[in-house]
Amino acid sequence: MSAFLTYLLNGLAVGCAIALIASGLVVIHRVTGVVNFAQGTFAVVAGLCTASLLGLGLPHGVSELAAVLAAAAAGLLTGLAAVGRAGTTPLSSLIVTLGAGVLAYAVEIVLWGDQPRSAPGLAGSVTLAGARIQTQHLLVIAVTALAFVALALFFGRTYLGKALTACASNPYAARVVGIDVRRMGLLAFALGGLLGGIAGVLVTPLRPISFDTDVTLIVNGFAAAVFGALTRPVVTLAGALLLGVAETMAAGYGYGSHQLEIALGLMLVVMIVQAGRRSALSQEQT
Amino acid sequence: MTTRTTRRRGAVRWAAGALAAAVALALPAVLDDSALAVYVLLGLAAMVTVGVSLLMGYAGQVSLGQGAFYGVGAYTAALLALNGLPPLLGLVAAPVAAALAALVLGLPLLRLRGHHLAFATLATQLILLSLAGQLTFTGGDIGLQAIPQFSAGSFEASGAAAYAYLTWAGLALVMLVTHNVITSRPGRALRALATSETAAASSGIPVGRYKLVVFALSAAFAGLAGGIYCFYTGYVAPGSFPVLISIQYIVMAVVGGLGTIWGAVAGAAAITLLVQGLDQLANLPGMPSYAPSVLSYAVYALVLIVVVLFLPDGLVPAIGRRLSRERPPATR
Repeated sequence: MSAFLTYLLNGLAVGCAIALIASGLVVIHRVTGVVNFAQGTFAVVAGLCTASLLGLGLPHGVSELAAVLAAAAAGLLTGLAAVGRAGTTPLSSLIVTLGAGVLAYAVEIVLWGDQPRSAPGLAGSVTLAGARIQTQHLLVIAVTALAFVALALFFGRTYLGKALTACASNPYAARVVGIDVRRMGLLAFALGGLLGGIAGVLVTPLRPISFDTDVTLIVNGFAAAVFGALTRPVVTLAGALLLGVAETMAAGYGYGSHQLEIALGLMLVVMIVQAGRRSALSQEQT
Repeated sequence: MTTRTTRRRGAVRWAAGALAAAVALALPAVLDDSALAVYVLLGLAAMVTVGVSLLMGYAGQVSLGQGAFYGVGAYTAALLALNGLPPLLGLVAAPVAAALAALVLGLPLLRLRGHHLAFATLATQLILLSLAGQLTFTGGDIGLQAIPQFSAGSFEASGAAAYAYLTWAGLALVMLVTHNVITSRPGRALRALATSETAAASSGIPVGRYKLVVFALSAAFAGLAGGIYCFYTGYVAPGSFPVLISIQYIVMAVVGGLGTIWGAVAGAAAITLLVQGLDQLANLPGMPSYAPSVLSYAVYALVLIVVVLFLPDGLVPAIGRRLSRERPPATR
């Protein structure tokens, strides 16, 4: 029983990390309508930065903060390429973000090499009801909870957040009332980078990050985000937790080598079921 | 457009096609072995890219998993040949198996649109790669080795030149099939459904069936290329079909011009030669060991981004427009 509880808690922590990646996807998609294939890259950039900065002897906290800011800058740059030019369709933007992810491979290999890197996190573990859980896992869960509350407040209560939402629901009307849709798109990308960066900083102590880890991260993040149809953060969080627990249970009970198939298979089923419920007309642009 | 310009343009096209065919046939005789290897890989990439161009440019469906069908073709041909069946049978079975796989996968997947479909095809490739790396009959991560040379009857392909002819014959077949598809009635229907599936469906086009058929056809092209590839290299492994290879086909199709046959070939040629040239540059003495992979990643990425942003129609249509100085016909 305590093994089950351990898997459950670890799974929730893994799910929270996925949720942070997914929340970046959701934020960017909500504002710009673009699916950002470079989302996993932001986490990788942040993770590698943390490892390097800590290696240089910078204290904890400063290193992590700098890494998250670097990821936000990467997000802004990706946004500039993807939505900075007027008249780029969402599908073109998707291909551009794909290109940005591949370009990041080149930069990352030059800066950090192609070997996985790790960074020390919170040491030790806590025993909860007979289940042992690493302190770092608890930190992941706490930060994710904070991030989602902050996002909810930001989008629901602030003018900037409402302006961002307005861009997504009706870009034309948003422009009419004086909202700079392009700047909002860039802001969304920077925010996406920030969220991806937080995820990367939190994940690096749990498992080493290398330049091509972004595929696993984006696949999981996207799987969670499609639960919420790429627009609903709370459903996305639920999806991410489900996914994290499913993967950890699979690994814990001896199907570790099939983790990826489980995540991807689950995502495909959800997408196909969702597609069957929506009509073609509602998905076509007018 | 007047009849005269149409006829003149037809003649120009015919002459250009004949010239290209003559050059393609003459090249294996004059190239050395290392250049022939590039030539074979170029032809194989062009074969897959024609399918991608048909799927993306005509039917408006994005597949980020085309490398998976390339792999299905290669594994099929390799397994059949290793089990003692004639290689010709393997080569025929490769596109058939890829098309069948596409039919089975496409049935649920093609209900998805846009980025959902793009991601689903990428996921499919990741799943297939992961399975190929774990199953015993595919040889796991090591893959299949010692695949016999291609032979048909008394002919045995022993040198690179033979594979070059085989590859370019395959490419010619693929281009001919694609040409016939896009100039036919179903071809116009495909263009219609790429614009609006609802409108296409309401004018009586069987949207689902057409999408599935064109998906299977593009997979068959990739499967054929994969079949030739496995005989040419003599081994297949999951590492031969990374996700980057699927992205590479998209880059080639987009660079050359989506929905044009010659664009696909030109895009494949441009990217292959560019990457090859940079690879030689990266392997010069004094370059760091990571240079080859870094340069190829950077090239794919930069070419993709620049072309999508600044040359969205691709090279061949842009050049064609410059030559004819006319407004492009609205194809998409």
